[in-house]
Amino acid sequence: MIRLDRPLVAAVSYPPDNLIKRNMGARVEDKELENRDATLNGSHFFWQKAQLIDRRTSTRYARVLLRGLELPCDVEVGQFVLVRYSDDPCLPRAFSVMSGSDLGLELFIKTEGRVREKFAAAPMGTVFEVRGPYGTPYASKINFNRKYVLVGGGSGAAPLLHFRRKYPHLVAGEVYGFRTEDACDLLNEVDLTVESTTGLRAHEKLQSVWRPGMGIIACGPEAMLRLLAQQYRQEPDVYVSLEARIGCGIGTCLGCSIQTSTGMQRICKEGPLFALEELPWLT
Amino acid sequence: MANLTVNRLGTSFATPVVLASGPAGFGYELSDALDLAQVGAVTTKTITREPKAGNPQPRLVDCACGALNSIGLENPGVEAFVQTTHARIIQLPLRRILSLAATSHDEMEQLARQAAALSGYDAIELNLSCPNVGGTITGANADAVGDFVRAAVGVSSIPVLVKLPGDSGNLLRSTEQALKAGAAGLTLINSVRGLRIDWNTGRPFLSRVYGGLSGPAILPIALARVFEVREAFPSALIIGTGGLSDLGSCLEMLMAGADLVGIGFGLMVDPELPQKLAGELRHWLDERGMASVEEVIGIAHSGGLGVH
Repeated sequence: MIRLDRPLVAAVSYPPDNLIKRNMGARVEDKELENRDATLNGSHFFWQKAQLIDRRTSTRYARVLLRGLELPCDVEVGQFVLVRYSDDPCLPRAFSVMSGSDLGLELFIKTEGRVREKFAAAPMGTVFEVRGPYGTPYASKINFNRKYVLVGGGSGAAPLLHFRRKYPHLVAGEVYGFRTEDACDLLNEVDLTVESTTGLRAHEKLQSVWRPGMGIIACGPEAMLRLLAQQYRQEPDVYVSLEARIGCGIGTCLGCSIQTSTGMQRICKEGPLFALEELPWLT
Repeated sequence: MANLTVNRLGTSFATPVVLASGPAGFGYELSDALDLAQVGAVTTKTITREPKAGNPQPRLVDCACGALNSIGLENPGVEAFVQTTHARIIQLPLRRILSLAATSHDEMEQLARQAAALSGYDAIELNLSCPNVGGTITGANADAVGDFVRAAVGVSSIPVLVKLPGDSGNLLRSTEQALKAGAAGLTLINSVRGLRIDWNTGRPFLSRVYGGLSGPAILPIALARVFEVREAFPSALIIGTGGLSDLGSCLEMLMAGADLVGIGFGLMVDPELPQKLAGELRHWLDERGMASVEEVIGIAHSGGLGVH
């Protein structure tokens, strides 16, 4: 059922500040939050040039590093950037950031589609353009008084790898599901659950990792999120990171709006992370 | 320095570059990205009588030189708009066009009456051509166009514009009916109905199967429609919209006869595009020693620039 009462209005009409503050974890200081809001609402509207300086590829995935003089590196866990090559007039692609540091922005991507193929084939030094980061950081939404099992499916592993690096004390377990062994060499810092060798898919493996009292943060294909949601819908602090084709990235075009229990919300602005109870359609 | 001001509708637009309805939101979301003094006007997201949640995901899929969208007029509805969003829009330092959509004459009249009670807008734009909300497209039926325009003009004290489809109905007849009914001008064109199929699954990409194609792919279609309407109705105001992504395409649109040019898809790709275009347009005019942008509007109908 689509709800068309006041919450829709609130979600469409206001910037997400209220939402962020309401869901804020206990350990995030107000000061830090203010700075974060400034980042979110402020200056990242410009395309920045960034060079491809490192890449490792497998058949279906690539791990790439982009560096640019003015490239934003202060990317929070869960945020994404838009990437395009040259001044291509087509829609850019949204990628979750796997790590952001002085070295540059690291992305873990599936190598199919226009921009992605370009990533896989472009010579080192190729200049791309990057806009962002966008999206509400996971830290503004999760409960910091709980430990989480991270559940990734395919390239959905990217923000979770960022999470484990930044918040190791919040990680109770990890499951990264892939269909084939293809990505193993690219992600050698973690163990992958490979369906073709173990016969297990991510949500099945999760059953032997998750224990009552643990939360879950999941990012991956919708089919995986659905299976997981059906299994854990009664549990507290289960969060899923959603994906959609992103248009503007800044919350104006509404190309990524989804129904939630509190009205329409935008994956690029209020999301990408949502508490499972906000998404009744997923269960 | 060349003058970009365009005087139309009894008011003055600082530049011919306007934000088309849709990707610009309500304008204020872009005030950090854009120097609004470089923008002629903002057109709001389309407002309907009741709140609309819009269409289910997926709502967007790209293609060579453009994208299909199926947003479905997601908006808070007129009452909430009046109570909340309106106050923020009228603080913006530029001209404002309020976009409205309705499914019947009476609904249009009621909505336009509610809009007429608001101050701060320079025109109303009737969106009679959204390809993503089911039912028939009003703009494809010339008699219905006249009917809806009469409903709005009868209760409105500000100019009424009509946004018409570029790919359905008889555009010249619809335009004629709109102008007869009292419309002050046209916005041409809305996105063009299209389809993409995910060949991995064999199913359409978009939840509602069809979407509206926008982006550089539709520029030639938009140019043709603007050109023919300008030719047939030399004094009608035209906001030319469709696939404008750079200086060249803006110049083409102005030369085809658009008084103002609307940026939609281009804004999604680059939020700074409108001010870049205004700057580049001024520079282009300066280089040619032209005093005003008025010198290029419609010149494709009158022998061009006089260069060989």
